[in-house]
Amino acid sequence: MNGLGYTLPAVLAVIVVCVLETRVWRTGLFRRPAYWISMAIVLGFQISVDGWLTKLSAPIVLYNEQHMTGIRFPLDIPIEDFLFGFALVTAVLLLWERRRPQPVSSEVYEVAEQR
Amino acid sequence: MDRWQYLIVLGACLLITAPLELFGRGVYRQPRRLLAALLPVAAVFLVWDVIAVAADVWWYNPSYILGLIAPGDLPLEEVLFFVVIPLCGLLTYSAVDHILTMLSRWRMERRANR
Repeated sequence: MNGLGYTLPAVLAVIVVCVLETRVWRTGLFRRPAYWISMAIVLGFQISVDGWLTKLSAPIVLYNEQHMTGIRFPLDIPIEDFLFGFALVTAVLLLWERRRPQPVSSEVYEVAEQR
Repeated sequence: MDRWQYLIVLGACLLITAPLELFGRGVYRQPRRLLAALLPVAAVFLVWDVIAVAADVWWYNPSYILGLIAPGDLPLEEVLFFVVIPLCGLLTYSAVDHILTMLSRWRMERRANR
């Protein structure tokens, strides 16, 4: 494998998303417990959905193994898929968080509580 | 029937997450915020996908897709993937965030009443 086709862009996508948050957008998403709990739930569902899409016995998506590490875990899921999924979902949540409505007065204390 | 597989998987994702809309402000009920979060990311990932397919990094099993192909040689299902999966993520986050906010409000009220 040379990893250029999938492994490299997948790693880059995660780095780009993290740099956008920490250097540019600074939404505070990574400090929110709701984000990490959600990502754990998303991960659980990704394993079942992605596992179905990539199962080697009857794959819906097929991969050129030359472009990846070749490590498939858990089930037959290429590990690169988890980087891809993390970048995709986190990027959307970051843009969502950027447009968080300003809290009305009765909610202010909750925001203060969370920070 | 097998050719509906990919589409059915995506439909199941939308069905399972649909009740999460009931929590808090929801996601579908904030269409502008939803589109502003979803469209730019989908555009970037679709470009990545088109390049990957053109470079034979990955491809789709014709046995499990309907065969409707969008520009860029992407199956309809794959285009929908970048709408459905972010929607599921947003609905999850919105619901979890709302539940945690309610819990902290409840805790503060209990503390205040003591």
